Amino acid sequence: MRSALNLVRQLSQLPMLLASVVLFLLMAMTFTDVIMRSAFNAPLEAATELTRMFMAIVVFLVMPIISGSQEHIVVDLADPLFTNKWAIRIRDTLVNLACGAMLIWPARQVVVLAERARDYGDVTEYLAIPQFYIGWFIAILTFVSAFVLLARGLITLFAPQLLEEQND
Amino acid sequence: MIEAAIGFGAVLVLVLMRMPLAFAMGLVGMIGYANETSFRGALSMVSRLIIDTSQDYGLSVVPLFILMGLFVNKGGIARELYQVSYAFLGHMRGGLAMATILACGGFAAICGSSLATAATMSKVAMPQMRKYGYEDSLSTASIAAGGTLGILIPPSVILVIYGLLTETSIGKLFMAGIIPGILGIVFYIFAVKYTVTRNPKAGPAGERTNWVGRLGALRGVWAVLILFFLVIGGLYGALDVWPIHLTFSPTEAAGMGAAGAFLIALFRGNLNLKAVLEVLKETSITTASLFSVLIGAWIFSNFVNVAGLTEGLRDLITSYDLPAWAVMAIILGIYIMLGMIFESLSMLLLTVPIFFPLVIGLGFDPVWFGVVVVVVTEISLITPPVGLNVFILKNVVGDVSTSTIFKGVTPFWIADIFRLALLVSIPALSLFLPSQM
Repeated sequence: MRSALNLVRQLSQLPMLLASVVLFLLMAMTFTDVIMRSAFNAPLEAATELTRMFMAIVVFLVMPIISGSQEHIVVDLADPLFTNKWAIRIRDTLVNLACGAMLIWPARQVVVLAERARDYGDVTEYLAIPQFYIGWFIAILTFVSAFVLLARGLITLFAPQLLEEQND
Repeated sequence: MIEAAIGFGAVLVLVLMRMPLAFAMGLVGMIGYANETSFRGALSMVSRLIIDTSQDYGLSVVPLFILMGLFVNKGGIARELYQVSYAFLGHMRGGLAMATILACGGFAAICGSSLATAATMSKVAMPQMRKYGYEDSLSTASIAAGGTLGILIPPSVILVIYGLLTETSIGKLFMAGIIPGILGIVFYIFAVKYTVTRNPKAGPAGERTNWVGRLGALRGVWAVLILFFLVIGGLYGALDVWPIHLTFSPTEAAGMGAAGAFLIALFRGNLNLKAVLEVLKETSITTASLFSVLIGAWIFSNFVNVAGLTEGLRDLITSYDLPAWAVMAIILGIYIMLGMIFESLSMLLLTVPIFFPLVIGLGFDPVWFGVVVVVVTEISLITPPVGLNVFILKNVVGDVSTSTIFKGVTPFWIADIFRLALLVSIPALSLFLPSQM
């Protein structure tokens, strides 16, 4: 079990790296677009739609990772009230399970919308990339995030010692 | 109206149970919206928001400005900004604390986060002030207070989030932040002056730097000054002159800033592949978590709208016959109270969906309100018992108690309240620059 979790952690480096590369491309592309437009009057026409796509890729590639490593923004005001180890464990279990469960319905709906876009044959303006690709991408990674949160909830309940080394 | 109040209460309970803010707002918003319309309606609203938000062109300013701040930081600019400020102000009594404020203001002009500004400057300025025998209360307080400027002086992540939430022009918000930010620097410098007048031992004078040294120190920061003028000037339309014709949308300004900061750090030899990857990774994580809370806040604000909270509050105001300024005073009072406990971003996300429609309905300017909200948020960062910047200082410096920092911060806090009163009573201080765009 421990080695399986370690494997997951190792594997999560890959989407992280990919997101980083895409983010760098986004920066380089915006820079090039401005330079080309102002100096040579030749803007990159696909820049806008690529920007949109890059954003979705960065955000959703990282979403399962921040869900699993608990890097979402939280308010820790009431933390001093939770001193009992069991209370913390039950609280964290419930929160993770609830967060995971609530993602499932929207994720399924995103699939529906993506399929609708496929039926209509929606494509992006300049590069004619089918819209449903990105819809499916978002849906799949939302499902993965849901799964990660549910798994984290269960591990917190049944085997919290597995999560301890997460913080190093 | 009552549903919205219940919803707000439910979000508070959930976040206190440590449910991530994004999920708490999203869950309550989705259930509330379903209750007002239908489950199907709520589901398609939520999934549309997820798809559209993650592909929103305007939102790409968020990662790019964060990237700019982090790259500049890697370039080691904080130290040089401090050296320049010291060269000009260090010989005065309390001069190092004043230099700290000025350097914070300069750093804020390239970094959009108050916490990052405070954390970075404390590493640079604290050892210097210790060396010259400054009392901890003054030195830590000047960094904690100066750090708050990060979210007001453009670029500012909080202003971007406000602009996106309320569909207010980010360019105008940035311009509106400049004069209040400079006022902040001036007021804080007066707060230092007040502290050393009362207790000269708090901040002894340093050595005087001659003009050769001063100009020499300026050499270290010219690249960053140019970067700032390029980004902000391009956004403002000031660079649209022959032969360059540069005008930027916020995304383009952010992209130019990020790429420029990257190149500066690269040419200074402060970047290797590992450092670049670290910066990109940190930015991706921050971006994804900011996007989640934005989606959550939008879902919640859609629910608040269909639940008729704005109309309810408006009726309440009419029934008590309250004038607009009194409503504004109440809202600001609520912000200052919330600021005692809430962290800045959570406070903004929770309150803007509720107050913004009301404030606009009363005829206030959306850009002005944005600046006022950010200034109140800045104040919250140094307000006890939960002043985040104070905690950052405590973390970085270590051997100082939070009560010492809070005690030192008091004059700065009062300066902030004065500044807030000034900005509220003279809207032109915020609105003059954006009106020239």
